[in-house]
This record gives sequence, C-alpha cells and structure tokens, in this order.
Amino acid sequence: MGALVIAGVSWIGFGSDNSSQNSSEKVEELTIYSGRSEEFIAPFFARWEKESGIKLNIRYGDSAELAAQILEEGKNSPADLFLSQDAGSLGALSIAGLLSQLPDSVGSEIESQYIGENRAWVGVTGRARVFAYRPGAVDPLPTSVAELSSAQFKGRVGIAPSNSSFQAFVTALISKKGEKFAEKWLAGMKANDAKIYLKNSEIVEAIDKGEIDLGLVNHYYVWEVSEALGREINAEISFFTPGDIGNLINVSGVGILGTSKKESAAIELINFLTAKPSQIAFVEDTHEYSLISGVKAPEGLSKLEDIGAPEVDLGDLEKVQRTQDLLTKVGLL
Amino acid sequence: MSAVKSAFKSGSYGLRALVVGVLITISQPLLYLIIRAGEKSAGDILALLTRSKTVEVLGVTLLLLSAVVVINVFLGTALAAGLHYVQIPYPRILLVMTVLPLAIPSYVFTYTWRALLPSLEGFWAATFILVLTTMPYMILAVTISFQRIDSGLIEVSRSLGLTKPAVFFRVILPQVRRSISAGALLSGLYVLSDFGAVSLLNVETLTVSIQNLYKSSYDRSAASVIALLLFLAAAIFVSMESFLKGRDFESRGAEGFQEQIRRVKNFPLSVATTFLLAVYSFLAVVIPFYVLISRFLQNPAAVAISDLTTAAISTITVAAMGAAIAFLLSLPLAFLATQGSSTFGSISEKIILMAHALPGVVVGLALVSFGSRLGVLYQSIFLLAFAYAVLFLAKSVASTSSALSLVSPQLKEVAATLGKSKSRVTMEVVFPIALPNLALGLLLVFLTAMKELPATLMLRPTGMDTLATEVWSFAAISRFNEAAPYALLLVLLAAIPTFILTIPRSARNEASVKAKVN
Repeated sequence: MGALVIAGVSWIGFGSDNSSQNSSEKVEELTIYSGRSEEFIAPFFARWEKESGIKLNIRYGDSAELAAQILEEGKNSPADLFLSQDAGSLGALSIAGLLSQLPDSVGSEIESQYIGENRAWVGVTGRARVFAYRPGAVDPLPTSVAELSSAQFKGRVGIAPSNSSFQAFVTALISKKGEKFAEKWLAGMKANDAKIYLKNSEIVEAIDKGEIDLGLVNHYYVWEVSEALGREINAEISFFTPGDIGNLINVSGVGILGTSKKESAAIELINFLTAKPSQIAFVEDTHEYSLISGVKAPEGLSKLEDIGAPEVDLGDLEKVQRTQDLLTKVGLL
Repeated sequence: MSAVKSAFKSGSYGLRALVVGVLITISQPLLYLIIRAGEKSAGDILALLTRSKTVEVLGVTLLLLSAVVVINVFLGTALAAGLHYVQIPYPRILLVMTVLPLAIPSYVFTYTWRALLPSLEGFWAATFILVLTTMPYMILAVTISFQRIDSGLIEVSRSLGLTKPAVFFRVILPQVRRSISAGALLSGLYVLSDFGAVSLLNVETLTVSIQNLYKSSYDRSAASVIALLLFLAAAIFVSMESFLKGRDFESRGAEGFQEQIRRVKNFPLSVATTFLLAVYSFLAVVIPFYVLISRFLQNPAAVAISDLTTAAISTITVAAMGAAIAFLLSLPLAFLATQGSSTFGSISEKIILMAHALPGVVVGLALVSFGSRLGVLYQSIFLLAFAYAVLFLAKSVASTSSALSLVSPQLKEVAATLGKSKSRVTMEVVFPIALPNLALGLLLVFLTAMKELPATLMLRPTGMDTLATEVWSFAAISRFNEAAPYALLLVLLAAIPTFILTIPRSARNEASVKAKVN
C-alpha cells in the first residue's frame, strides 16, 4: 500500500512500481553496485544483458566501501541492486532498512542459512574457509583450527588478520565458542609466531615459495593465485574435520535497494544469477560453491553439505567491531 | 583598525565575499563530518577519543608525520641545494629524476617495493616509503626559490668577505625558509592523508582507522569523529608551520636580476652530492620503474589497448577539469593576496590547507552525501572534477600565495606612481610575475588528481574507468602483472607534467608570458 502511494506521488514511478506485474513494464536499464571483481563477474552480466535486452550500468568497488556509499546515498541511491563479496556488507544495509524484502520465489532453491533476515538478500555463491598447505610439508594434516596454536606449527602458519574474510571467521569463532576461547586461540597464534599477511593471496604465494607451510584462506585463492601467476602452484587446500569452526562458509550475495523502481527486472537478474547455468559457471570459472542443489562442488573439493560447516548467522558477521577490538588486544592488528 | 579600513576599500568587499563562498564550498566535507559526528552522544565521542587505541594511533600518526617532515627538511633542502649550487654532472637530468617520484602514486610505490622485499612493513618502512614519495615536494619548493634569489645579493655578500658556506647559511638559507616550510607543509599533509602506503605496510594511522571504521563496523559517526581528530592534528600542524616559518622578512628583487649562478667546484662535495642524488633517484625512480616494467613484461594476458586508451583519456580529462576548477577557486584568494597580506586572507588560506589533510575516502563520502541529492550531477564527471578540486585546492593555493608574496610591494608602488590603476597594476605587473607559480599549482593539482583513487571510486560516472581504478581492480585480485600496463601508463602520463615542473623558471616564464600574449 505504502509503495503504491509513493509510486503515485512520484512521476517516475507512476504505473511502473508494482512488483506484481512482471511483463507490462519496459525497463531499459538497471544500475548495479558490484563488490565482486569486474574480471570475474562481468561475463555473467554480459550474458544477462544479451538475454534480457536490458542494459546494465555497473559500478565496481570494494564491497564495504560500496555499502558505506549506499548508506550515505540513502533514499537518493541510483542503485537498483547491490552485489556483495560478503554477507557482512549486505547485513549492514539490511539493518539500515535499505534493502527490500525479496519474494519467496527468489532463491527458493537456496538453503535458508544462506538467505538474509527478512529475505533482505540471498546468497549467490559459497566461499569456504579452508587451510592451504604445501604438499609434503605438513603430515599429518591438522584436524581442527585449534591445533594451529600448538608447538608443532610454530612459525609455520600464515594468517591475514586485517582481511575481512579472516575477521568473519574470528567473529564466528567468538559467537560459537565465546570471547575467552577466541582470545586464547588468537594469543596462542601470536605466541606461535604465526606469519602475518595482508591478503589471502599473499598467504598462498608464501606457501608456494616455501616461506610458510600452511595458512588460513578462502578456498578459491589457490586457483586465483595460480591463474594470476599463469602457472601451477605448489599449494593445496583441505578442510578441517567436519563441524570444526575452521570450516566456516561465507557467501557472496545480492539484495535489491528499497528505493529501486525496477524491482521485477532486478528480481529477474537475481534469478539469472541463482539459476543452474550461472551456478555451474561460477563453480567452473571462479571455483566457488554453488548454493543450489544438483550442482557439483569445485573440482577436488567435498560437497557443501559434507563440509560440516558450523551454523552461524551470516547476518551477524556484520558485527566485527568486537572482533577487531579483540585482534587489537592480542596484538594481531 | 587599518584592517577594517582596507576591508571596505573598493572591490575588496566583494572579493572577500567570493573568498567566503569558496571556503563554504570546500568546507562541505568538514560540515559533513560535524553532522555525522554529532549523531553520537558527547559521552560516546569522549570514550572513542580517549580509548587507548585512538591515543596510540594518534601517537603513531604524529610520530610518522614528524619523522617524515624532519628527514624531508634536512635531506630535501640539502638535495635541492646540491642540485642548484654544486658542480654536478647532468644537473637537469638529476633534477628531473628527483622530481619524477611525484608521478608515482604511493600505493604503486609500495606495491613495487613490496614486490622486491615482501617483508617490508612497519613504522620505519612507512617512513622510508613516505620520505621517498614526498621528497619531491620539498625539492621542488626549495629549488624554485633558489632560482629566484637575487644573484646580486650573493655577489655582494662574497665581496664583503663571507665564505661560501657562510653565504649559504647566512644569506641564502634564510631567504628560502618560507619555501622549506611550504615543502614541509605539503609533505606533512600528504603523510596525514595517505592511505595507500600505510595500509599496505601495516601501520595504523588515523587515516587507516577511519577506513577501518567505515569498512568493519559501518560506523560512519565513529569514522567522522576520528576524521575530525585528524583535521585537528592538521590544524595544529598548519599553525606550527606558520609559527616556524616566522615573519615575512624576505624581499626580493624583480625578475631579471638573476644571472647564471656559479656552481661550487669542490671535488669531495660534488662526489657526495652526486652520490646522494643518485641513491635517491635509484630508490625512488629506478626501482619502481624496474618492477613495473618487469611485471609488464611478465604479463601473460594481452593488453586491451582500447581499455588502456579509454582509461587514459578519462583520467586526463577529469584531472584537467579538476585542476581548472581548483584554479578558479584559488583565484579570489590570489586576488586578495595581491592587495597585501591580511589576517582574513591568511586564515582563509590556513583553513584550505587544513582541509587538505582529509583523506580521499572522507571527502568522497561527504560528496556522496551532498551530491546524491543533485540528481543528474551525481556521479557525473563534473562532480568528480569538483571532488579533485576540493581535495587538492591546497596545492593550488599554496603555490599561488607564495607566488604573490614574491611580488615586492615597492614594485607595486612604483607601478602605481606611474599612474596605473590598482586593477591594472594587478593585471599588468603582479600577475605576469606570479603566473609561473600559478601554473605550478595547476600542474600539481592535475598530477595528483590523475593518481587519486578512493574518491574516484565513489564519484566516477558508473562504468567509467580511470587508470587508477584499473590498477586497483587488477591488484584487488592479485593480478599485478595485468595491473602493470595501467600503472606504467599512469606513471608515464604523470611524468609529463612532472617534467614540465622541472623546466627552469626563466624558460617557463617566457613560455607562459608568450602564451598569455598570444
């Protein structure tokens, strides 16, 4: 009802802001703020433009910075959709009430744990936390992330405490095991001479070069680094024992801005990204996990449901201030 | 009383109104910060400011600022003096080499160094990189004023029996104090606002804290509180600078008094100077270029020439527009300065300088906040160019006002007694003399705008890429080799205005006067 009143007042929206009518409106272009890298996502957008005949204006940036920008734009945001690298940035917009609720038909095949509260956003791809290691250098492989602070791994492990993916893991660690446990583990890692890197990719490169034996990263970085270097690299990945907190699954996801006047076209784009052909392409091209059933896991990796990822409210990953304070306290930031 | 009187002199009233207009325009980011910070309660603000982390970060920031500025003041002045007064081989080439680092963005600088030394990080690494990056500001400012020193004065001092070192320390150095402090100011403000180098080297300064607060907790109010603290630090720094620079006691001869200077011929001194200059050029130019070129050659992917060209054209266009807007915004203040120094003028100038310490992400978000209400203007190249002008106006103002301070009052009086009206004195006497420095300001804004990243990411038209955003988008996914062509082109394009900056003043002056006449 409220939407109808607004639509009636706004001349642009008149007659076109009704999400129940799908076919009669003629949308010519959509604006997307994309926190996903152009290199990886642009081919998908190009395919959709061809299929739908709708032109996409794509603004690339860092997920968190784009979220800050949308928060700042508020009701004046030109964006129709926000595609984010991580659930945290979507959570921030959702809490600010800037994302509209998606109908149940959107992402109906996606498990509820990969969908935001109030259906404000849906996951597009899955990204698993794993450990990367140099084959032969680590035997036996660790079964739990907790082991990495023990003496046998002294000086051999790489982490990236300033990186958002590591912080999301620590946030999950705090929420699952409590702050005391998290602090003890982090302090243990520090005392164990864990090597500090800025990015996941640097950790993988360091393993390849032999600087460290093992590191905590997102699963797809071994491919990303290998492709960036244009050669095979000397690093592999593995999960901890199912159920271990080290096996966190985060998602990249997408939401529609509450101010968008082109909701049904935007929904079509989300459906395109979460439909089987795109999901298969994500697995093959960017080596991420598909979030729908019936699509294979990335080559050589266990299926999403077999990882035994801890259940974490992904929307909560927005709350990283406490995590950062803790990292600062133990001296890792 | 005389200040009040002069305020009401003809023309000056309107001029002041214009200056106030400029100040209001460029104070948008500050206004934004105050509004955002005001969303927090006084208690929260106090807690944020007094928490140990904030104190520690402020400490690191101030230490880094002092370290870089102190090293720059001594080393930069020494290098500039060496370039100008000591017999060295290829002085022109060495001058170009020492100014060329201006063309390299600090994030590219740091990437290239870390490619060679992956373990490079921490406070001293940041000091090292920032000294390499900001030294040209010092060398440029000081060299230009060496070139302006009345050579007759040096001759007279020598004939009065002063030794060469005494001439340098007692006659020359006091005359360039103002430029030394201007160089210190620009490099210090650079350190305060820098994000690229410090974040890559894992040093948390106030700018990094601001970014972290935006990124990790989406807490714009907290980020604004810290940004205001940064502004306060800049305010103190700017006031200290004007205190140190002392009273305005320089008085120079008019143009044309300068003869070819005689360089000091002293073998050990020449060797030492050449060595120092060569080491600096090696660290700040050869190494980054070497890494960029070798990355470029390793690049397995084909370079998309059309992307490269489009990005280059966008970069140049918007940067040039930004420089033009900054130039226009600096004109009222420049005209005001031609009417003699005033408290109003110097306060206005200081506000502009302080605002220069605000990092791109803050200015960017502030302009997102205001600009998103502007409809079609939002995310147009005009707003982006305006952002550049706001970010870098200080560079233009600093050069402009130092240019106008060079015009001796006597010259203006002589012109006035010859029956020329005040505005004609300004147009025909003051501006031609000041023009080269005005051009310098314009070039500095252009150069820095080309390299700008955070505000560009937020304010560029959707779909438009600049060279800096292309570098960013490849570096973000570790494709440094593919980023290399864009970085290399950015550096090469930025090297052109940098090169123009090093053209000897007299030649540049002639050229610009000619251009003016034509």
